[in-house]
Amino acid sequence: MDTMCAFELKRPTNVAEASALLAKPNARVIAGGTDLVPNLRRGLDAPATLVDITGIAALTALDLDRAPRVIGAGATLAHLAGDPRIGDEYPALAQAAAEVAAPAHRNAGTLGGNLCLDTRCVFYNQSEWWRASNGYCLKRRGDTCHVAPHGKRCHAAFSGDVAPALIVLGAEVEIASVDGMRRLPLAALYRDDGAKHLALAPGELIVAVHVPPAATGSHSAYGKARVRGSVDFPLAGVAMAVAFDGARIARLDVALTGTNSNALSLAGTETLVGRAADDATLAALGNLVAKQVSPMRTTVTASNYRRRVASVLVQRLLRNLAAEHATD
Amino acid sequence: MDTSAESRVPDALRERSIGRPTPLIDGIEKVTGRARYTADLPSDGALVGMILRSPVAHAVIVAIDTSRACAIAGVRAVVTGQDFAAPYGVIPIAQNEWPLARDRVRYRGEPVAAVAAVDRETALAALAAIELRLEPLPAYFKAADARAADAVLLHEKKKGNVERDVDHAFGDVDQGFAAADLVREQSFHYAEVAHGQIERNGALATYEPERDRLTMQSTTQVPYYLHLTLAQCLGMDSAHVRVVKPFVGGGFGHRVEPLNFEMVTGALARAAGGVVRMEQSREDSFLTHRGRPETDIRLKLGMKRNGEITAVDCEIVQRGGAYAGYGLVTILYAGALLHALYKVDAVRYRGYRIYTNTPPCGAMRGHGAVDARHAFEAMLDSMAEELGLDPIALRRANLIVPPYRTQNDLQVNSYGVPECLAWVERASRWRERKGTLPRGRGLGIACSHYVSGSAKPVHWSGEPHAVVNLRLDFDGAITLLTGAADIGQGSSTLLAQVAAEVLMLPLARMRVIAADSALTPKDNGSYSSRVSFMVGNAAMRAAEALLDVLVNAAAKKLDVSPADIEWLGERCVVRGTDRGLAFASVVTAALVDNGPVTVKGTWSAPPETQGGRLRGAAVGSTAGFSYAAQVVEVSVDQDTGAVKVEHVWVAHDCGFAINPLAATGQVHGAISMGMGQAMQEETQYHQGLPLSPNFLDYRLPTAVESPPIDVHLVETIDPLGPFGAKEASEGALHGFPPALTNAIADAVGIRLTELPATPDRVLDAIVAKRRKDRLDATRAES
Repeated sequence: MDTMCAFELKRPTNVAEASALLAKPNARVIAGGTDLVPNLRRGLDAPATLVDITGIAALTALDLDRAPRVIGAGATLAHLAGDPRIGDEYPALAQAAAEVAAPAHRNAGTLGGNLCLDTRCVFYNQSEWWRASNGYCLKRRGDTCHVAPHGKRCHAAFSGDVAPALIVLGAEVEIASVDGMRRLPLAALYRDDGAKHLALAPGELIVAVHVPPAATGSHSAYGKARVRGSVDFPLAGVAMAVAFDGARIARLDVALTGTNSNALSLAGTETLVGRAADDATLAALGNLVAKQVSPMRTTVTASNYRRRVASVLVQRLLRNLAAEHATD
Repeated sequence: MDTSAESRVPDALRERSIGRPTPLIDGIEKVTGRARYTADLPSDGALVGMILRSPVAHAVIVAIDTSRACAIAGVRAVVTGQDFAAPYGVIPIAQNEWPLARDRVRYRGEPVAAVAAVDRETALAALAAIELRLEPLPAYFKAADARAADAVLLHEKKKGNVERDVDHAFGDVDQGFAAADLVREQSFHYAEVAHGQIERNGALATYEPERDRLTMQSTTQVPYYLHLTLAQCLGMDSAHVRVVKPFVGGGFGHRVEPLNFEMVTGALARAAGGVVRMEQSREDSFLTHRGRPETDIRLKLGMKRNGEITAVDCEIVQRGGAYAGYGLVTILYAGALLHALYKVDAVRYRGYRIYTNTPPCGAMRGHGAVDARHAFEAMLDSMAEELGLDPIALRRANLIVPPYRTQNDLQVNSYGVPECLAWVERASRWRERKGTLPRGRGLGIACSHYVSGSAKPVHWSGEPHAVVNLRLDFDGAITLLTGAADIGQGSSTLLAQVAAEVLMLPLARMRVIAADSALTPKDNGSYSSRVSFMVGNAAMRAAEALLDVLVNAAAKKLDVSPADIEWLGERCVVRGTDRGLAFASVVTAALVDNGPVTVKGTWSAPPETQGGRLRGAAVGSTAGFSYAAQVVEVSVDQDTGAVKVEHVWVAHDCGFAINPLAATGQVHGAISMGMGQAMQEETQYHQGLPLSPNFLDYRLPTAVESPPIDVHLVETIDPLGPFGAKEASEGALHGFPPALTNAIADAVGIRLTELPATPDRVLDAIVAKRRKDRLDATRAES
């Protein structure tokens, strides 16, 4: 790791001040810094100004008593993983937060930071010397994607654990800028382009996540495939929210991470509504995943494995949640 | 004068310094943060040293223009390959590497130029201002490509890019196969792995132009080799070089040879006429490399119905990387250590060490023998299955009875495999559980062994293999001076324990000064697990020499014959009387006339342990082999291919545990490292660029997946080891990968022939097996 570029560090105390600072050219947000700092050390960005938002008290506020629930973007991942109210109502969210990296990262890393995680690729997350030797890449300073040299887009993978969980829970993000506030369904925050994966305009800041109350009888969970028991980003991560009518699926939402440049909302789950979570349904769901994910060679682990394991995970989640429902 | 004899402590109750779990004597510095590693050394005003690396894998260096870099204000030195007097290489007959490339670059990341500047920004600007003109050559990233008939040679006179071709045969191999009831042959593939030592590389070099003197402090396991190499590469008189090893955070072989950045830092300090600090990144460690090579093995074993091995035929190809380093030793070890674990009377070995355009490989914990041991133990397991034999019974059919001379002239004087097997069999409840576990859960076993120091040193100078000095002065403190490099393994503690034990003095009286060439006697360094055995023996002899001085002084003072002195450590008495002296009085007596005392202890491996006359026979020879057996229990997720190690039972024959606490810790470390290689670590290259030169993508095991490890130390009391001790830090590593894959075979019926056993590889094998089983079933029906 190299030393970081020179920058001006600003510590605003309210959102308006932060938005004003972020409206300046080449300003970047920093909160926990667990994603940004290693990237800066690798020369993947060279902001003139870093706007440290950890001093803004409003961003860490949680309001879990009203509908929708509001979770400040500055809440730490450790908090999301450990708050029993979140664990009870939104198991997928608590599980996903608990699966991020390692304990020290979760103590520093924030909800907003995990949602805005930069996309990742073995040809991108390297030192300046390494990337220069390799002719750089489409995501930064180059014109070739080494993962798919004949293609025209960047295939770096979105690897945040929390986003798919919040997508299946129906979350919206609240975004601030000098122009005011706006709300966006979380799924719409992401685009399947590794070089431009966030639908945020320059200067925009996610300040909170709004989550509708979990419907009675609904279930959710998150599953993550990785090589090690800790630290690793997901080779594939799958979040599921499901409601049953008796033994039959009444609603099913699935979202994935680690396999595409966006947090992928699985299409076609409505075709399984009305069916029992039997082997045929599991297989059909597994097929939906296998068809829609498009892992590329962005990690050192083979992409066909990531496709296969995503399909396994989604079936496992449905089987487990159906069993959970049966014992309710 | 202490004349009381009543307080004599019976020997049995005396607190011994050896054989007791003893916290490391430098542990306090480490846990309190007071320990100074190379990067912590104070150096006001040191210049910042930085290295420019080749962006291409293979090219002729047409020109390196440093004029623009030199002209930048604040740049104090710029050096290239032309600034060195000689190439280097840890093996005297294979020195083909320059600290900075000359004429050609042979791997991506090879250092080509270096700068020293007043600060980092200036140094970076200087690197950017250096113009490299390179004319590309074809590059080879796989051993097979480099061996192709039309391949450009990386080094002159190395036909086929073969650095070393080994062709050894012992016994009648053909007859052995003919006599076998079962002959099987299998190919294996092993990924390249790296050491993952926690402390990154760094050096601090101070040059005094007025005296032409260089002081080097560096992250090294081999201060003496570094000293020699600095003198050679810089063209300096070795008397003008001083090498000091600060605290070092692990090595595992990464730093058992002098590394380019060390000579470069020295050259920069000399060129700048001052102090230069070099701090390297994790990526730099991966580019400097010296890890375990990508290896292909073809192994053929012949076996009797009772499991007795009748013949071994093994071919090994190692992708060695761009330079020699320890390469020829690695390829020789791989063959030599096919012997000395089991009784094998007919062994053929072909080894090929290949030059490729990848970072140079080198020595890594378990040097040379780890991959071959996996192949061997994996085949024992599958052949046991075919023969309907219990894998432990099969191993028992091939035991050695010491003293034993192997076919390739290795000497086995102590051999704890029977005890190791018995313990892991009992501890794992092997007999009750093997074969009865639910599908997806399995037990696997493997044995392993390793040397306690290479019996022939790399530099054959005729000197003793190890020397220790002990100093005694008026204060009654005993200072042990050794060149041995404690890199976290606990060698300084062990040496203090050995000397304290001989002198029967409390450990607190000992002080160890290690690895400073201005103060300590030369030592070959911390590699091949040589320190406990060799330096331990020297420490024992030094302590005996000091004891002799002390007893003689006491005898003279008490006016008796030395034979009449009963030495009790903190005091001594005239045998059978109550006359005696306290230790302080003995010290005073010892200094009369002669002043402060310095004694020496030396040790060399006896000639009969140094290997035979065959070319290459010195590699693998040792004065004492350690042995180990382990049982690994796994559970395998058959849908995801994820393998979880549930438990490890490991018995290690370390001869005698001088420090059972440290020995147990070393065995734990060996298991963890074996686990990393077996399950998840690998370096893949993209056109010669390592894809995972960081600890996120290069996946060392974390605490989460580390299993419970039950360690049992077997004590066979080796006749040559100090107090019977042998090595304790490498031998258990080799057994883990095969015990793991054998356990996976037990769990789900797949036999992995490629490591690491990452989930994708395991799942591929499971899917392939399902397909084959279905096909077989269809065939059986029709």
